[in-house]
This record gives sequence, structure tokens and C-alpha cells, in this order.
Amino acid sequence: MLETVLAVVFLPFVGAALTPLVYRALGERTAYYAAAVAAVCLALVARLYATGAHGVARVEWVPSLGVSLAFYVDGLALLIAFLASGVGVLILTYSGGYMHGEPGQAKYYATLLAFMGSMLGVALAGDLFALFTFWELTSLSSFVLIGHYTTDESSQYAARKSMLITVSGGLFMLVGFLALSWAGGTTLIAGDGSLLANADATVETLRTAGLFLPTLLLVGLGAATKSAQVPFHVWLPNAMEAPTPVSAFLHSATMVKAGVYLVGRFRPFFLAPFDSGDHGEGEAAAEAAAAAASALPAWTWVLVTLGLLTMTVTAILAVGATDIKELLAYSTASHLGLIVAGFGAANTYGAETGAFHILNHASFKATLFLVAGIISHEAGTRDISSLGGLRHDLPVTAVLAGLASLSMAGIPPFNGFYSKELLFESMWYLGEEFGGLTWLFPAVAVFGSVFTFLYSIKFLSLFLGDRRPSLGEVHRPPVAMLAPPAVLGVAVAVISAVPNVAIDAIVGDVYASAAVGEAHSFSVHLPTELSPYVLMSAITIGVGALLWPQYDRIHDGIRSLLRGPVRANWWYDNGVEGLTAGSKSVVPRVQTGLLRTYAAWALAGTAALALGAYLAAGVGLPAVELAEGTTVAVVLVLGVALVGAAAVTVAPSHVAGVLTLSILGFMVAIFYILADAPDLALTQLVVETLVLVIFLLVLDRLPAYYGSPERLVAARDAVLSVAVGGTVFLTVLLATAGSPDSIATRLVELAGLPPGEHHAPVFFDYGGGANIVNVILVDLRAMDTMGEISVVAMAALSVLTLIRMRSRGEAR
Amino acid sequence: MSGADAGAGTAEDAPDAESGPSLGYERHTTVIARTVVRVTVPIILLTAVALLLQGHNQPGGGFIGAVLTATAFVLVYVVFGQAYLQSDLLGLDTADDTHRAVEYYRWLFTAGLVVALASGLVPLAFGFPFLTQAVAMLEGLPLYGHMEVASAFAFDLGVYFTVVGGLLTVLGEVGTE
Repeated sequence: MLETVLAVVFLPFVGAALTPLVYRALGERTAYYAAAVAAVCLALVARLYATGAHGVARVEWVPSLGVSLAFYVDGLALLIAFLASGVGVLILTYSGGYMHGEPGQAKYYATLLAFMGSMLGVALAGDLFALFTFWELTSLSSFVLIGHYTTDESSQYAARKSMLITVSGGLFMLVGFLALSWAGGTTLIAGDGSLLANADATVETLRTAGLFLPTLLLVGLGAATKSAQVPFHVWLPNAMEAPTPVSAFLHSATMVKAGVYLVGRFRPFFLAPFDSGDHGEGEAAAEAAAAAASALPAWTWVLVTLGLLTMTVTAILAVGATDIKELLAYSTASHLGLIVAGFGAANTYGAETGAFHILNHASFKATLFLVAGIISHEAGTRDISSLGGLRHDLPVTAVLAGLASLSMAGIPPFNGFYSKELLFESMWYLGEEFGGLTWLFPAVAVFGSVFTFLYSIKFLSLFLGDRRPSLGEVHRPPVAMLAPPAVLGVAVAVISAVPNVAIDAIVGDVYASAAVGEAHSFSVHLPTELSPYVLMSAITIGVGALLWPQYDRIHDGIRSLLRGPVRANWWYDNGVEGLTAGSKSVVPRVQTGLLRTYAAWALAGTAALALGAYLAAGVGLPAVELAEGTTVAVVLVLGVALVGAAAVTVAPSHVAGVLTLSILGFMVAIFYILADAPDLALTQLVVETLVLVIFLLVLDRLPAYYGSPERLVAARDAVLSVAVGGTVFLTVLLATAGSPDSIATRLVELAGLPPGEHHAPVFFDYGGGANIVNVILVDLRAMDTMGEISVVAMAALSVLTLIRMRSRGEAR
Repeated sequence: MSGADAGAGTAEDAPDAESGPSLGYERHTTVIARTVVRVTVPIILLTAVALLLQGHNQPGGGFIGAVLTATAFVLVYVVFGQAYLQSDLLGLDTADDTHRAVEYYRWLFTAGLVVALASGLVPLAFGFPFLTQAVAMLEGLPLYGHMEVASAFAFDLGVYFTVVGGLLTVLGEVGTE
């Protein structure tokens, strides 16, 4: 299993790396090469499915840190992997027709393949950090793909927006993951000894620390930004700047599913203490739940509210859309909201809703996006008001669009109906179970669905009625563009016709992944008797049909309302603008280009950090006593050093200053000699001499004297000097409070020698040298020395670069 | 102070034809300085090498040796000027007024890093951790009789070259400025 999983995840990356070479050989037919790579992945996923693979597969990654690359295979992972690779095959084939004559194709196919690999990684990841890594990789590839037309202003804006929102959401999620791994003591998501396996204990730890809700919100934030939930839905419509195949692939079928995948994956974890609702079916479950339920689980109120709000708001926005891709983008957000709400509900039907709708939505929405691609490609416009009667020109496309949009509207007997019915059912039971305000859930679900119905029919109506006179000639799409939506359309038809086959094949397993406790088998069927939720469906369709003639007035009404702060975009644009302006105004203060400013900040920062750390650690001042061996000579030498230091501050010129400073340096060297440290003394003497020379070389370039500083600046500098001096003094006091014995012990310990009494001979035995200083430098702590000489080389390089660059600049 | 003035005076009085254009140092330094430097630089270099070699058992080591070597070069630079160092000592072409020696210094610190790194990598081949050092005692050598060979010396040599190269690069560049 491990080999297959690794192959599935990394094959697309290898394929992506090879794409530029392949493009040189094949040109535009690279699309079929990429599709072939995707097909191999699909076959491998199918093999995983066929062999009934289930559980954890891991390879050691950084064994010394206990980090492993773990994968987890189950129903949910396989469904998402199927979607990523299966839709991938279709999209890459379709791209062969769509991208004809477009710029940057090598980049396009390489990024699509890399994206596919990342998405497969997200689906199959069994470790929090692996999941996070692949998660951000999908954001990254999405950024590149949205910004495909690199010179286009709006495409840059859209790419930045999606990047900002999804990546920052991912960072919040990472914080949540850290809390989870802290509480669970593991980074494994599922399988033996994982977070899911120990959900009860981990949740208890989180609760005791008061971190349960924050963690839930952080993880939820990651899912919400990725799955374009309100108010983070703003990036999705802009993302439609990408070529249509990208929109169909990333922004409807796969990447945005990462958010709901996350929700589904962690559902059993966050709902673990409330698993009473999932044991039985129907009334038995309701009764058991009613008995056990004391309050609405946090998971449910957060996610159901988020999901239903998104579903409704974005459905309304979709009705207000003027562009077919905009309409589909908002509707995608709306359906993702539906899935989130489903997974949020703390009952069986909720998990069923989410599991089934992931599949249904991918099937009908990818079809619709590809249809939209055909329309914009062949009719040359995406403007809803100028499209109509397309069935005359695009008959096959019209059939596919009809199938998919009726499914999206939730009309029986199409597959969208079944999952929507499950949502109504789960919302109804939530209301029944918890009462009170939760009755709003079913009400809002119906309200939002009315708009879903309206925009679905609107999309269908593009093909109906009379042909608009404004339309020019509409071509038939090439086979490469027609076949993929046809395959998806057939999938919609098949799932609609025999939904229970699909459930048995995979949805049941997905449900099991997201279910809390024991999962049971479930099935759907057309309603035969009147139940509350059948009534809800009837109301949706009835009210939708009644409102349909008023569509244009509703559309105009929504557009007239969308002004200023009502739009989430207003907040985004102003927020980004404010941050940009803020940064711009801060930069001149911090980055003055004057060395003294940087020095002041760096020194003050270091001093503050060090002092703060001492304060936080609560270290006391060590007793200061005169060290042994303090002779008159030592006192005298240090006294002269002090005088030298004082003289520096009143030196009349640079040269005098440097010379007096070297008095200090040489006195310290003499002190080393007196203190029996010949190595240090030698080094100090030689370095002091060298530094003096370098100083004198540089001084030549400086202005003759400093000039008299302003009072305020002088005061600031004085405070800074005292602070830095104080910090260094304190540090030396604290650092030397430990006796040399312990340093020797520590070194012995580091060298892996037997503990106990060791004196100088140990260095001789161990390092083969009698000079302790040198043995430490080149043997015991050779790694440090290695770093230090690298720094020396680096410094030389920087001086070289700086000076050379400057002289080159002057020459120009 | 008076000595320096007198020296400068002498240099200005001296005919240029004898020394040639590359020996412009005579204008700025005294005979005393030049003579002293001529004698001391070899001694300094020798001391530096001695410090490097004896570092494992007595005061010294790669770093001190390197800094001392750099000091010797500084003396030459200050007293004789870069043109002398380049054309007369290193045999470089100084026609285009650039500091060609810096190219060599760059090679020096690169080579130093490579030596240090290589000395760290060798133990890996024998299954020891990175930078493990060993000592071998050689007996019965001619002249020496007994000699200790520490693998740490290779590393120290790397340190030496890196530091010499780095310091001279900085000095050379700053000095040219």
C-alpha cells in the first residue's frame, strides 16, 4: 500500500518537473501527456480502492525528530483522491482544446500537475504537518494558475487575493494543528495512537486548558478560507480570472473541497463527546440523542451557522451575478456551505449529507464549469444578459447543462436532490433535538435553497428560449472539449438513476470516515410518503417556481443592495489598502538608510530582550566577590583600561578616539597574560593590531568630526549606551557565575565521555592535544568553529560585494 | 615625528628614475620603517606558521596564526603599498590599477572552507559522526623520532586559510578604496 500511495502523491510532481522538457518535444499536445500522468494516478487510486486498502502508511522522514511522512487511506481520502485524479484527467484533456494558442502552456500544465499532486497529498495525508504542507502547496499552485495571464491587472489582483486569504487561513489552521498535536501528543491524524483514536482524552485535555473552542475555531478558519465560506468567499469569484479548466478543476471540484475535507476529517474528533446521535437511525437516534443532549455542541453551532449563512448569502449573490462564471463561483461557495452545514450537524444525516454532496457537487459543478468554458470559448461572451437560446447551436452541450443544472437545483430525481433532502432531514432533526433557536436551521436551509433553485434555472435558461440577436456565430466545440463534460454528465445521470450504487461503492465509506462512533449502511430513495423534509423540498421548488418570473427584478434588487460596506469585498479592499498605506508610512521610520538608526534599534532590541529574559526567568544577582589571584598588577592594568575607555568619550577626533580605544584593547590583552590565558592574549593582541589598522584605513573616508549632536539625540544615545553597557555587565556577571568545573563537565558530557572527575588530561586523552582551548575549538566544538569560519568567509564576501557594487554604481 | 618628516623629505628628494613608477611607496614611508618591515615580516610569517603547527599542544592554532599572517601582509601594504605587493611579491600585472590580489584571497578562503569541510566529511566514510577527529603517533621518524599527527590539524589548516583569505579580502578591498 505504501508504494502505491507514495506513487500516487509524487508521480504528478515528477510529471510536473518533466513538463518543460515534454513541452519542447510535444508542443500543445503536452495536454495529453499531462492527462496520461493523471490517468496513471487515477489507476493507482483505483487500485488502492480495489484492494480495499485502509489505514496508515508511513515512511520515516526525520527519525531523530520523530517526524514521519504518514499517509492515511480511507473512504473520504479515496473520494477526494478520485475527484482530484479523475477530474484531473478530464480537465487536462479539455485543456488540450481550450488552451489552443494560449501563452505559457508549459507553466500551465506543470502547475496543474503539481496542483494535482498537492491535492492528492492533502487527501491522503495522515499527519498534521504533511497535511499542512500539501495544503499550502495547493494554495501556491492555485496562485500561479489564477495569475496565469501574468500581465493582466485583474488577474494579478485575483491571484494575490486568493493567496492572501487562503494562505493566512492556512496559518491559523497551523496554530490549531499545533494545539492539537500538543494536546494529543501526536501528529498522526487517524489510525492507531492518533488524534482520532484518542479523541475523547485529547478533547478533555483541550477543554481543561480552555483551548477546545479556540482550536475548533482555528481549524475551522483554515477550512472556511479554503472553502470560500462567508465572509471569506470573496476570493472565489475573482479566482475565475483563471482559464476555465482551472476554475472547473481547482475552484469547483477539488481545491475548494480541501476545506470541507478538513471539516469531514475532524468531524469525528470534535464531535467525539457527542456521539450519541450516531448510533441508530431515525426516531431511535432522535430519542437517544434527546436523552443525551444537554446542549448544542460547539462544533454544530459554529459550522452549521457558518455553512447555512454561506449557503444563503452566496446563493443570493449568485442570483445577482451577471457573468456565467461568477454565477457558478458563487454557487460553488453556496454548495460548499451546504456540505459544511451537513458535516456540522451532530446527527447521522449530517455526515451523510456531507459525504454524498461532495460527490454530487463535484459531478454537476465540474460539468457546468466545462459547459461555461464551451460557451465562453464558442460564443465569445460570458455575459448572462447577452446569452440565450444556445440549444440551437450547442445541442449536446444543452443536454449536459440541463442535466447538471437540474441536479444543482435539487429537483428529483436528479442526484442533487438526494443530498439536499438529507440536509433538510438533518437540519429538521437538529431543530427537533435541541429546540428553540435551532428551528432557524431548517428555515434558513429552505430559504437559501430557494435562491439555489433560482440561479440553477437561470443557468439552464441560457440554452432555452429564442436565440439572442446580439450573439454572433457560435461554433461547435471540438471533441476534446466536449468529451470531458459528457463523461461528467453521464456520471450525474448514473448517480441520479442508481444513487444507492454510488453510496455502496464509495459514499458509504466516506460517511464512515466522517461519522462519529459506529457507522451503519445507509441508502436514499425517492420519497413515498409526506414527511417534514419532503415538505421542505416541495416548498423550495414551489416558491422557486413562483418567484422565477420575477427573476430580473430580484437580480436588480440584489445588485442595488450591494454597495459599500455590505459587500465583503469592500472590507477586503479597504483592509488591504489600509495595511499597505500603514506599512508604507512605517517604512520610512524604520528604514531610514542611516546606520545609526539600525544600530539603535538592534542594540535597544537586544538589550530589551536580554533584560526581559532575565526578568522573566527571575534570575537573581550573583554575589560579587574579588576573584582569587587579583594582584596589584591586574588592578593597575584594568584601571588603565578604564581610563582609556573614559578617554574615548572625550577624544577630539576619530584618530584620537581609535587610538585611545586600542589602549583599552591592549590592556585587556595584558590582563589575559596576567590571568594565565596565553591563547586569548595572543589573539587579543593580534586582533587589536589588525582592527586598529582597518579603523585607520576607514577613518580616512569619514568626515573630520561628528559635529555637535542635538540634545535629544544625545540623551537617547546616552540612555542606549547605559542600557547596553548594563546588559553586557549583567550578562557577564550571570554567565561567569557558573564555575569552570561545570563547563568542563558539560564538555565531557557533550563528548560522550564517562561522567565523573575529569581534569585537563581528559582533553589530552580525548583530543590528543594539551592545549585545551584548541582541542575545544577544533575537536569538541568543531561544529561551532565550522560555523564561525563560514561567517568569516561570508563577511569577506559581503565586503567584497558591497564595495564592488558601489564602485560599479559610481562608474555608471 | 621629526624622523618621519625627515624621511618624507628624503624620499621626495630622491630621483625617481632609479626606483621606477611601481615603487611609489618611497614617497610615504621612511627608510627605517622599510628596513624594519623587511626584517620582521619573514619572522612574523614564520611565527604564524609555528603557531599554527604547535597549536594542538601549546598556545596557538589556526585562528591566531591566520590573524598574525594577515598582520604581516598589513605591514607590507602599509609600508610598501599594494603595487609593490602585487608586482614584486606576487608577480601580478598591475597595469589596470585594479587589486588583482583580491582574486587570490578569494580563492584562499574558498579553499579553506573546502579543506575544513572535507576534513569533517572524511570521518563519515569510516562511519564516525561529522567532524570526528583522531590522533596518530608516529615513532622512529628521522630527525623527529617521535611525532604526533592529529587529524584536527587538517581542520585547523582549513580555519587558517579561511581566516587569512577572509581578512585579506576585507583589508585589500577596504584598502583599495
